[in-house]
Amino acid sequence: MSDTIRVESFSWSNPILRWCLLGFAAFFLLPWNALEYGVFDATYSEFYNAYAWSSIKSSAFSLVCLILIAVRPWRSMAKADLIDAIICTIAFIGILVIATLNGEALGYGAAIQMVAFGGILALALARLGFIQGDPFMTGAILLVGGLVGVFIYFPVLTIFSKVVVDDKGAFTPFMFFNLITSFGMGRVVWNSLTMAIFVGASTTFLGLVFALYAARISTRAQGVIRIFSMLPIITPPFVIGLALILIFGRSGTINDFLLYLFGDGGLFIGSGNEGWFERSAYIYGFWGIFLAQTLSFTPISFMLLMGMVSTISPSMEEASLTMRADDWQTFKNVTFPLLRPGIANAYLLAMISSLADFGNPMVLGGDYDVMATEIYFSIVGAQLDYARAATLGITLLGFSLIGFAIQRYWIGNKSYVTVTGKGTAGGFQPLPRWLQRGCTVIAISWMSFTAILYVSILVGGFVVNWGADYTPTLAHYEELWARGFGYGAWPSYITTLEFSAVGAPLTAMFGILIAYVTTRRRFAGRNLVDFGAMICFAIPGTVIGISYILAFNTAPLLLTGSAAVVIISFIVRNMPVGIRAGVSGLAQIDPALEEASLTQRASSLRTIFTIVLPLLKPALISAVVFSFVKSMTTVSAIIFLVTPDTQVATTYILSRVEDGDFGQAICYGSVLIVTMMIFILVVDKLVGKSRTQRTIKAS
Amino acid sequence: MTNKKSYGVSLRNVVKAYDDNIVLKGIDLEIAPGSLTTLLGPSGCGKTTILRLIAGLELPTSGQLFLGDEDVSTLSASRRDVAMVFQSYALFPHMTVGENVGYGLKVQKVPASERKDRIAAALDSVGMGGFQERYIDQISGGQQQRVAVARALILEPHVMLFDEPLSNLDTKLRRQMREDIRRLQQETGITSVYVTHDQNEALSVSDAVLVMKAGEISQLGTPEELYLQPKSEFVATFMGDANIVDADLSFKNKKAFASINGYKLELISDTRGQDAGPVRLAIRPEALTMVKGESKTGICGVVTSRAYIGSGTEYVTRWKDADIFTVMPTTGDQFKLGDMVHMEISSIGVSVIMG
Repeated sequence: MSDTIRVESFSWSNPILRWCLLGFAAFFLLPWNALEYGVFDATYSEFYNAYAWSSIKSSAFSLVCLILIAVRPWRSMAKADLIDAIICTIAFIGILVIATLNGEALGYGAAIQMVAFGGILALALARLGFIQGDPFMTGAILLVGGLVGVFIYFPVLTIFSKVVVDDKGAFTPFMFFNLITSFGMGRVVWNSLTMAIFVGASTTFLGLVFALYAARISTRAQGVIRIFSMLPIITPPFVIGLALILIFGRSGTINDFLLYLFGDGGLFIGSGNEGWFERSAYIYGFWGIFLAQTLSFTPISFMLLMGMVSTISPSMEEASLTMRADDWQTFKNVTFPLLRPGIANAYLLAMISSLADFGNPMVLGGDYDVMATEIYFSIVGAQLDYARAATLGITLLGFSLIGFAIQRYWIGNKSYVTVTGKGTAGGFQPLPRWLQRGCTVIAISWMSFTAILYVSILVGGFVVNWGADYTPTLAHYEELWARGFGYGAWPSYITTLEFSAVGAPLTAMFGILIAYVTTRRRFAGRNLVDFGAMICFAIPGTVIGISYILAFNTAPLLLTGSAAVVIISFIVRNMPVGIRAGVSGLAQIDPALEEASLTQRASSLRTIFTIVLPLLKPALISAVVFSFVKSMTTVSAIIFLVTPDTQVATTYILSRVEDGDFGQAICYGSVLIVTMMIFILVVDKLVGKSRTQRTIKAS
Repeated sequence: MTNKKSYGVSLRNVVKAYDDNIVLKGIDLEIAPGSLTTLLGPSGCGKTTILRLIAGLELPTSGQLFLGDEDVSTLSASRRDVAMVFQSYALFPHMTVGENVGYGLKVQKVPASERKDRIAAALDSVGMGGFQERYIDQISGGQQQRVAVARALILEPHVMLFDEPLSNLDTKLRRQMREDIRRLQQETGITSVYVTHDQNEALSVSDAVLVMKAGEISQLGTPEELYLQPKSEFVATFMGDANIVDADLSFKNKKAFASINGYKLELISDTRGQDAGPVRLAIRPEALTMVKGESKTGICGVVTSRAYIGSGTEYVTRWKDADIFTVMPTTGDQFKLGDMVHMEISSIGVSVIMG
């Protein structure tokens, strides 16, 4: 035993040197500073100036720290590990402070060198006893902590700073209140909240009706469940709004029909007579947004409530029936109260989704301003009112976080549904007769309405100009797709696929890593990482957008304009998908399996790859699939970040909408829907078999 | 199976705390090389924490932990020469029995051919030869238990840890498994630490038993010492049934005597440094023999409860404010509810308790 240990204690110094080598390589080979036009388009002198050794800058300080650690003059001291850790921490802070003061934008070289310092810090902390002395896990936690810090806390704190620090850099603690009470702001906030309250009610009601219908009334519910679970994922933003315009808009189907009947010289009016009806834009404004959001979020409420309804044990209702309650009393006194936490949960989440929704108000808002779109309008065009955008962003984030905190800490724990794993004999007793009828009528009408909308989306792309000219045409498709890969929709389509393909695996990886460290490990600062993850869940896309553009357009972290920042915001935006997959996947894996691997002398790195990941495969795949698909429909988070070079599908559709070119917008939307459906079905087909091959359980 | 020298385990003033919750309050413990020591106690007493500290799955908040002569206090689990059998077995569901057992060898880059032989030998030693290709969900709970033991044994560790290994088995299987584990442990001579909350299991497999309560050691000793000479009321009642009675201690000719309500009895167990005067005694039910009729001295009262349990009959007799519990063989005298009885007390099974 003592022999092996001596070898190990000698090899302890090796990993440090390896990290140091990486650091030196980064110093000499990679550009230390960011290149404004990217690595491939930089001129020779730009490239030279970007190198760490071209002049005295933050890199010099970093080099001194690195040399100190490589030489380790304190190696024989008792507190050598502690000194390592301190030097690394100083290096981190020093680089950032010097770069900020100097106005240096840090690039690949600096990033890699920071990773090297992180590796050395992890080794030192592990030897000091952090995370059961496990350097890999310590490193993983440092990485997660660092990324959450840089890409979640830093941007959020930056928008906070915008409302307490004025243009001249003076501290103005009351500026936020001045801004929020300024003209027009109150109305915007009020509009958003009113909308959220109404949409929360409508989607929860419809979701409950559907859940009862699918779980307790219809016997052919599987199809409904499957379609409804797919719809919100594969529907690009704007598309529902556009479909509503096609049907209810000024020149929409309904208006046309009414005009045909009751307009000037209409069927019921007689030619030459003045009609009772004129075209009107009633769909723009409150009711339009309300309808569009109800359509968009009902499937989400349905999925939440469906889970709740189907886990109520039939024996509860049977107990009530044996105590002489009739079916209606049973529903009122037993079934419904059991569902109440689920209903509150669905209501809150629908409210949060409504507050954060950008696409629908963008298309249908008219003069009904809401926070999510006002943030956008504060910045686009000539406005550039960052203070106003930041104020709205913080307010929106605040509401959203409060809603989320209530959902998570209060309602989240109030579920009456307990999963006991005990099978119950027999099925459910029937619900009251009239309740069945009511649910069926509402569910079927709403489903038909949804179906008509989606059909009109698919058809809408094939007519010349909906409302004015219904001649079938392929013109929109030709315009978008038939003019070569450099034109029309192709560049944005390819960019979208590329960015999503890069972002999705990273989202799944970091999501599962965050889930892992927050559920399986205890460490100082875990609550901070946990809260950062919760911000990810709660933060509206537009707020990500505004905070990123504020945080990453100056040194030391100059990212705006790059493809990286778009991909990063995809990742942050979709992180909840990864985290959720990780948490639910890990909940099914007994922690003792990992411990068994560790006591068999496997390192934690090896344990992750041979035990945890193989068992997490289904969760991993679904996380990759869903974050890929969600990336394709993300718009609000990246709207400020895209440049003509990094235009993606959703922003291209938005530009079509803003130009009033609904035909092309709808046509592009349906292509996206088809793309995503094909992708999901193909992956399902490919992995469907292996997914069910072995049931995962810990012994 | 192994010719390595066994290592002892020592804990020196080990404290383990999670935030404000102190689960181990300064444990000093020496576990002899080659012995099987059982950690026994109610749930939450810290016994599993000690096991996990030895495994390296947790590191002590303060204090030191030695395997042999080596301080491993901050060494991570994968660097310790320790193997563990988990309560849930923790067999990898995506691997076969053979792959599970050979996992540690593969980690240590043992060549495939040697690995195959050693897997076969390890499975044979637990009576599971020929099961290499099965998946875990294709074998029974008892077989899973054996595979888990084989997986720990194959590494020929210096220390083996068992975390309530039998708690998921039914009674019959449990008895056989504990005998097998004891046999394997004695054959290999591997220092073993065994956690259980079942006192029968602890008494039957161990060289030494450590009874714990609320993060502290109550008593360490051989099974006989713990059963016949418990130090405290907690140990006495935790290790089986005990009647706690007041008595007077006196000494004569270097012998110790206890007087229970005037009934005098020589004490052959340690008097734990108590001076003459009032003490408390723990008396095992087997040390008491019920006799019909009244008596002026000793324990005497009316039978208030009676339960036939097959191998004997359990009685409760009301004496002063205490309920005295006894077990009488079915073959001897039988008593009815309401009978007046008194007790004869044997010296074996009577001990002075402190706290």
